[in-house]
Amino acid sequence: MSQLNQHAGGFVRHYDEITCLQYLEGLLDRPTARELSAHTDQCADCRELMHALERESRLLSNALREQEEAVPARLLAGPVRDKTPWAWVASFGLAAAGVYWLWTSFIDPAMAQASEVGFGSTDLLSTIFFRSALWKGWPEMWSLIQGVAVVSLSVIGFFLLRRSLRKFNTIAMVMTALLVALGLPVGASAAEIHRHESHFNLPAGAVVHDDLIVFGDTVQIDGTVDGDLITFGRNLTINGHVTGDVISFGALTDISGIVDGSVRSFSNQLLFHGKIGRNLTAFTSQLKTDPQSTIGWGATLFVGGDATLNGRIERGILAFTAHMDMNGFVGGNTVLKSNESFTVGPQAETMGKISYTGTVQPEVSSSAKLASPVETTIEVQKIDWYARATYWHRLLYWGSGFIFGLVMLLIAPGFFTETVQNAERFGVSLGLGVLTIFAVFIVAVAVCFTIVGLGIGIATILLWCIAIYCSHLFIATWLGRKLVGQKSFVGVVAGKKVWPVPYKGALIGQFALGLLVIDAIRMIPYVGFCVAILAQLWGFGALALTVYRRIHPGVSSAIEVAPVTA
Amino acid sequence: MNASDQLELAECITRARTGDLEAWGELYREFAGPIFRFCRRSLHTKEDAEDATTEIFMKLHEKLAQYDSTRPFQAWLYKVAANHCWDSLRRRRIRQDLETEGVEEMPLEHPDPSQLNLLLDAQSTKEMRDALKKLPARARMALVLRYYTDMSYDEIAETLGVRRNFVGVVLLRARHQLREALTGQSLQGMNAEQTP
Repeated sequence: MSQLNQHAGGFVRHYDEITCLQYLEGLLDRPTARELSAHTDQCADCRELMHALERESRLLSNALREQEEAVPARLLAGPVRDKTPWAWVASFGLAAAGVYWLWTSFIDPAMAQASEVGFGSTDLLSTIFFRSALWKGWPEMWSLIQGVAVVSLSVIGFFLLRRSLRKFNTIAMVMTALLVALGLPVGASAAEIHRHESHFNLPAGAVVHDDLIVFGDTVQIDGTVDGDLITFGRNLTINGHVTGDVISFGALTDISGIVDGSVRSFSNQLLFHGKIGRNLTAFTSQLKTDPQSTIGWGATLFVGGDATLNGRIERGILAFTAHMDMNGFVGGNTVLKSNESFTVGPQAETMGKISYTGTVQPEVSSSAKLASPVETTIEVQKIDWYARATYWHRLLYWGSGFIFGLVMLLIAPGFFTETVQNAERFGVSLGLGVLTIFAVFIVAVAVCFTIVGLGIGIATILLWCIAIYCSHLFIATWLGRKLVGQKSFVGVVAGKKVWPVPYKGALIGQFALGLLVIDAIRMIPYVGFCVAILAQLWGFGALALTVYRRIHPGVSSAIEVAPVTA
Repeated sequence: MNASDQLELAECITRARTGDLEAWGELYREFAGPIFRFCRRSLHTKEDAEDATTEIFMKLHEKLAQYDSTRPFQAWLYKVAANHCWDSLRRRRIRQDLETEGVEEMPLEHPDPSQLNLLLDAQSTKEMRDALKKLPARARMALVLRYYTDMSYDEIAETLGVRRNFVGVVLLRARHQLREALTGQSLQGMNAEQTP
């Protein structure tokens, strides 16, 4: 390859560039190299070329080896972009199936049932929780809720994207969000509040021209409350008149008087002898309505023990009970799930149909006046292993979980993978899960009772519900990786197992397998229940750990970049 | 890397071969950065480089058993990485410079060294990297293999699938293309400065 070129009309002879380059790289044979070296001693032009080429090599090498760009954190922390569209195709297919199943199996029937008992589909949430009970000027309040929801979502979005938004300060962002939340208009909240009273009595003839909120041991209303009544106490007795709604928390609620609005009772025992203008919603262990009692609209009942309905209910009933004894008037449809017994007495009279689901046949008195025979569905406790529908439902259940996890994985891969990594720390995750799963809920409920915190509390409860649902998905992924992803371990860095494994495809596969295994285990009686609870707590703890580490990024291990050693 | 480091690395590789996760972690921490940078120089986008880095380490899990411990580990690792990146580029059908025709017709020239010096005077390492990004895949890969990983001509020939004798020509042509890109950048920069 060694060549001398004739240059500039043949008067000067120089070595060509490639020979000079090979000389510099030590690739020439010894005689040629010696010859070239001797030539460059004499030829300034070739010498200069050699220097220029050497300089170019050095500049190239420096340019290539310069560490101007840090190794991306997600190389250690999370998966990277997958280019296969199959996951999306499968996702959309399964999502469509899942949505259809959810709609036809739960949402549509639930809405129909709710409508039967007086809740319109548009105001279900507001009716259950707030309808003219806590706040006046609901539209203003609604704007606050919306504002807080938007702020919450913005904070979450910022939180997830914070790696990309390092120029912003998290604290500044959160503080701004809080200021915005505080700056939003707050609805008027006039109410008369009585706290720490062992016995509160509103005597007959007395009138409270406002909402009344009472914290006390026993609360007795013999007079009139021209507004809503909210009580937190052991016993509540209403002999008088409440023109608004009643919300009660306590051991015993006894209503003999008149409530023009709705009653929402969270009591151990609810006795009802009076008149309710609108709806009754009860979460209780025992409920009894007397024959002279009247409910103007419908009843939604969650009764752990006995429910005895002897009074008049003008619209429908939606009830989940252990024992149900119906011996009064019902103007609409009755949808009942009663685990242990259902009795229709001789005084019963219904204008709509009765749909009953339970484990035993109902006992219907021959004297009862029913619009149609009771539609009965007897539940068989054991799973019908041979029914195709069972497997189909299981598959759809798995599919809905898979879709949810997939969406989460695609939206926030770093967060997802980090949470799965945190699940590796079983003890810490489980302990934290046990602690936070209850603590977060309690705090959120407590925040709901503050004036400004209502929206934040509700948003937190909704997020808590989502976290509860998705916590087992992280454990499923962890399990899937344990089963088939051992090779995808990169190893242990600073005592911490690292799974940077990159393919979303592989990760999705592991997640799908893990979820399948967990769902299969959940079908085993007793063991499945225990495993489900364990996965829930464990996953929730891992999630909490991730959130904690995101808030305190100093805790997570930084990636040290090794110098080029080649 | 000094002798004790080499010894430590050899021990780490031995442990990794037995499935020791701590050892895998050490290897990853030691080499993830250099391999990512190698991929970053060779491939088009950062995302591609990230994908490739993790894929290479996954391959490493499978191939470590085949590693001949008498050879330098870094060189072997870069060989694995280079093969992976080159395969990746070929899979994407980047054809514009994969052909080997014309290599032999490279004219044997003696460029004006003063012009070359003038060009180099005006360049920083960043401009050099920017110009490298504009090169065709094979030219870029050849330069990266030679000047980032210090691969021999034999290894470059094996990786790029060209005859050993033509590696020098491939590298020289790559340098010429790089100079053209640098000249183009300089001209663009001058035009931008002159534009009011």
